[in-house]
Amino acid sequence: MSLTDFMSNAGLAIYAEVGMVLFFIAFVAIAWWVFRPASRKRWVNDAKMPLDDTHPQKPRQHED
Amino acid sequence: MTGSAAGSLSASGPRVVMDEFSYDDVIVRKFLVATFVWGLIGMLVGVVIALQLANPAFNLGLPYGTFGRLRPLHTNAVIFAFAGNAFFCGCYYSSQRLLKARMFSDGLSKIHFWGWQLIIVAAAITLPLGFTQAKEYAELEWPIDIAITVIWVVFAINFIGTMVKRRERHLYVAIWFYVASIITVAILHIFNNLSIPAGPFKSYSIYAGVQDAFMQWWYGHNAVAFFLTTPFLGLMYYFMPKAAEGPVYSYRLSILHFWSLIFLYIWAGPHHLHYTALPEWASTVGMLFSVMLWAPSWGGMINGLLTLRGSWHKVVDDPILKFFVVGITAYGMSTFEGPMLSIKSVNALAHYTDWIIAHVHMGTLGWNGFITFGMIYWLLPRLFQTQLHSKRLAELHFWIATFGIILYVVAIYSAGITQGLMWRAFDETGRLSYPDFVETVARLMPMYWMRVVGGLLYFTGMLLFGWNILMTWRKRPAVYDVPVIRAPALARRYEEPHEAAAPTGVFARFTSMRFHRDWERMPLVFTVLVFVAIAIASLFEIIPTFLIKSNVPTIASVKPYTPLELYGRDIYIREGCFNCHSQMIRPLRYETERYGEYSKPGESVYDHPFLWGSRRIGPDLAREGGKYPNLWHVRHFANPREITAKSIMPSYPGFAANNIDWPVIQKRVQVMAMLGVPYGNAITQAESMAKTQAAEVADDIAKSGGPAGLQDKEIVAIVAYIQRLGRDIKGDTAAKAPVVAASGLPITTGGHK
Repeated sequence: MSLTDFMSNAGLAIYAEVGMVLFFIAFVAIAWWVFRPASRKRWVNDAKMPLDDTHPQKPRQHED
Repeated sequence: MTGSAAGSLSASGPRVVMDEFSYDDVIVRKFLVATFVWGLIGMLVGVVIALQLANPAFNLGLPYGTFGRLRPLHTNAVIFAFAGNAFFCGCYYSSQRLLKARMFSDGLSKIHFWGWQLIIVAAAITLPLGFTQAKEYAELEWPIDIAITVIWVVFAINFIGTMVKRRERHLYVAIWFYVASIITVAILHIFNNLSIPAGPFKSYSIYAGVQDAFMQWWYGHNAVAFFLTTPFLGLMYYFMPKAAEGPVYSYRLSILHFWSLIFLYIWAGPHHLHYTALPEWASTVGMLFSVMLWAPSWGGMINGLLTLRGSWHKVVDDPILKFFVVGITAYGMSTFEGPMLSIKSVNALAHYTDWIIAHVHMGTLGWNGFITFGMIYWLLPRLFQTQLHSKRLAELHFWIATFGIILYVVAIYSAGITQGLMWRAFDETGRLSYPDFVETVARLMPMYWMRVVGGLLYFTGMLLFGWNILMTWRKRPAVYDVPVIRAPALARRYEEPHEAAAPTGVFARFTSMRFHRDWERMPLVFTVLVFVAIAIASLFEIIPTFLIKSNVPTIASVKPYTPLELYGRDIYIREGCFNCHSQMIRPLRYETERYGEYSKPGESVYDHPFLWGSRRIGPDLAREGGKYPNLWHVRHFANPREITAKSIMPSYPGFAANNIDWPVIQKRVQVMAMLGVPYGNAITQAESMAKTQAAEVADDIAKSGGPAGLQDKEIVAIVAYIQRLGRDIKGDTAAKAPVVAASGLPITTGGHK
């Protein structure tokens, strides 16, 4: 069976529904991750990055 | 200064390496000036083509200045020249500061700048000359496409190199948006523009018909997404907090915004092809993913606007914030309307009408334009190290441009809905209420004039903007101050902060999303992962479109164009006729009633490129062949208003004067044959076959009372092409007679690959 035959018989009518379910799962997972309380502190710090053009928020090597 | 190391003794003892460096603002200033200059030119062309639709006299009778040739110039200039340079301007400024590093290479920055400007100049020359691939927003021919690829790679290397040598550990979300834009635009550009050259500025897309339409709108929609949306969201996430003097409302929301957009946008392209010959499943996928885009888009809009929490009082006095607020609001309106338009039943009314043009201009004039203006007004004092020349002038610019947008969109929304309703109106006897298409055009004239006024107001705002830039620039210091930044050097190894010890175990790492935190400090890995996400999503749609047999049922009676018709089709492409005429009849009663049998996928299997179009300023031409005699077309091209008094189509007197370039026909047929079009013995006899058919058409015109001696003129080629449209499916043998007559043998019609 060629790839063309396989795709032709794959029944892609449900393609959109499968895509929607996958998106929904990904959306919920990311939403859970970013909004869980444990990660709040890092987001607050990261949000400050554009406000200081000269000092890194998290330098790769600390001075102290 | 590009960077040097200096030792520093910290209070606690150990000596650490400090880098000293400065930001390259010279390149930012260059992009800023280019943004204004190209914006002014692109919008001036926009005003000209708006005038041409209000009154065809503004085509000026020049072949280089017709609507069909200038419309792509307008879109390319405002998208790639104005918005493109604005993105580069803001990207070069913000990336250096977010990454705490000078750009990777000043040389690459200069190559990027000058290369991009040369590409725009090449576009400004070639598009009015009629060199076009006939793909919306991808009109530029193959040599310029190669130049775009090279310059884009230069930009990508420079950007990624800057990420690699950065001094900030984690990548801010604006940088994510820039990465996604750079990677995705490269993929879209390369794959949509794959073509076989048939001359120095002539090529044929390797895709045909349904597949070409799919690839084009996969590109076209994502050009909007990844050239006009994600780059400007990156700019918003940097410049809005700057202007509001506070952090973004919710950084978490921005993360959600980013991944949802990236994941969803790439699927949405097929909504440009509802009810066309595109397979139903692809159309539905496009609609569904477009509707889902509502969520992240509005998340982003809310995030941008709420960044002003506690600072709303500043908006009253600050034109920069005014531009940002209205720009982000326009983003919200456009991203509400876009998903709505992708719903099939709404799309049935809106597609091919000016409604889409209003939608696009709400996004470009409001979102791209106003974010650019706000950003540049914020940058001017900082880049030219002086005060802004006139805040009042900036305020005036804001109000004039805002009124310009309102006038524009109100007029064109009205025009679009009027068109849609008139096209589908039936009277009580069951016949079309407006069977003569030109009635639906004439009704729009007041709205087209109102658009001209709106466009002129927006353009006047650009002039004020330019004056403010010029006068601020004149007050610059004799020598710019270049601040030296000191920041800790890059450490080879990352050490976890004490407060966030790494979770142990695979499951714990996964549920804590630790892996994502790792990606954020690994720019190369992050870039590769974005590439993989975009590529996989694209392939999920593209592969089935190309492989499923039932997508394009073959029709035995559909044959390739004759060599002369192919040449005539190239004239149709050169003149940009597809900017006003569709060749795709949707299976809707009011369309089949007006134009005839709906278009089938199998009818365009030899169309490299497809010419379905996206707009009907004039009527659909899919079944135009045989509707009128040859002489009718000769007179119509010479002066459309001689045939149809209210027509707004430009005149093409040059068709009857310009000679056919006979030698190129053979080469073009051979390239088509290379692409799998079964041309049979035309591969070696194309020129003589074309001459035979040209003589027949010219003879018929002369016998009908028209001018004699047209057998060497372009008019016979384009008339031959128009007369062929839609005839194959009727089993009309006259349509393919010239090919058989010339060779004495029927052409072979093997499977089209």
